[in-house]
Amino acid sequence: MPMSLPSTRSFIIATASLFALALAGCNANQSIDAGAQQGVPATPSKIAAERLVGRWGVAAYHQDSARQRTEAEARRQCSNPYTIKAGQNGGVVMHLADQSEPQELFLKGSASGSTYLGPAGMAAVSADREIVAISDNSFTIKWVSPDNSSRYGTMVYIRCP
Amino acid sequence: MPPAIIHKRMAMKIINLHSLCLAAAAAWLFWNPAAKADPADASDPQVDMQIDDQPGYQPSAEEEQLAGPFERQIVFFRTTEAPGTIVVHTADRYLYLVQPNNRAIRYGIGVGRDGFQWAGIRKIIQKQEWPDWRPPPEMIQRQPYLPRFMAGGPGNPMGARALYIGGTVYRIHGTNQPQTIGHAVSSGCFRLVNADVTDLYDRVPVGTKIVVKQAADL
Repeated sequence: MPMSLPSTRSFIIATASLFALALAGCNANQSIDAGAQQGVPATPSKIAAERLVGRWGVAAYHQDSARQRTEAEARRQCSNPYTIKAGQNGGVVMHLADQSEPQELFLKGSASGSTYLGPAGMAAVSADREIVAISDNSFTIKWVSPDNSSRYGTMVYIRCP
Repeated sequence: MPPAIIHKRMAMKIINLHSLCLAAAAAWLFWNPAAKADPADASDPQVDMQIDDQPGYQPSAEEEQLAGPFERQIVFFRTTEAPGTIVVHTADRYLYLVQPNNRAIRYGIGVGRDGFQWAGIRKIIQKQEWPDWRPPPEMIQRQPYLPRFMAGGPGNPMGARALYIGGTVYRIHGTNQPQTIGHAVSSGCFRLVNADVTDLYDRVPVGTKIVVKQAADL
């Protein structure tokens, strides 16, 4: 019986995680960025990548008191939406923080139940975002890196019609 | 905050232009004869400070404490403007709030870069605590992942308060970059450290006259 799409994605992420672990083992003497998050082993994501594909109005806030207003503003930003496309390997094509070119990112589960979005490999690493809320028409992310988080805040994506 | 993080942020390719002060600024300068830049400023070493905005950065109290001439102070100020009027001397990087008896409260400010400076007589038409920040379209084009809107709060590039200048796209606002005070760095807005813009905000009602001059009267 052929693997279903989610199973294929899980296989890719698991393989990539093992590959990343193997690379880390080969480079045990390599210096490590003291500020980098080392992450946790990724598990299959409970959120399908397809749910993120589309055009989104994007806004951000730093204080919870501004969340409701930020959601309304995100809805108004559909005149200049951020477009997320499906990747070729089961991920989604998005930008990492401070990167001018998009790349395929993957949804990664974790033992704690949190879902992360970032490069294939470990979950909850510095480059990742954590998906803290999702519905059919919106999702909210927080950056794992404190630096990214302080600069970009909690980002709200509202699906554009 | 570790210096490495500060340097990283300084190196960020994140904007230079402020929300509403931005996109429309060039167009406004084009059709408003009063908004032409003073070419003499090109020789000023303080013109066009090259620094990107730093959304999220929260300066320390020490960083926000200005010293010397840019520190908020009462000064002798001879003018025909009535007390309560705001007078901005762009070339000197000072904003004056006229007081009785030939006195004024003087604030150090950051001003528009060459090509983004303007002059005129306007009024304050709106005030806002912790204004929101909208990266300009050209910034979104460079960094498509940026939020199109960032709610106001500590660390917001627009600072703690904003006073909107009628008939223009410009504002008097705070900043999270105290080091830019005294420099030409903005897109035509006037920026004060947060303590100063809060002080001004509390003193100035909507309807206040604002006179923007390129150079001080001799």
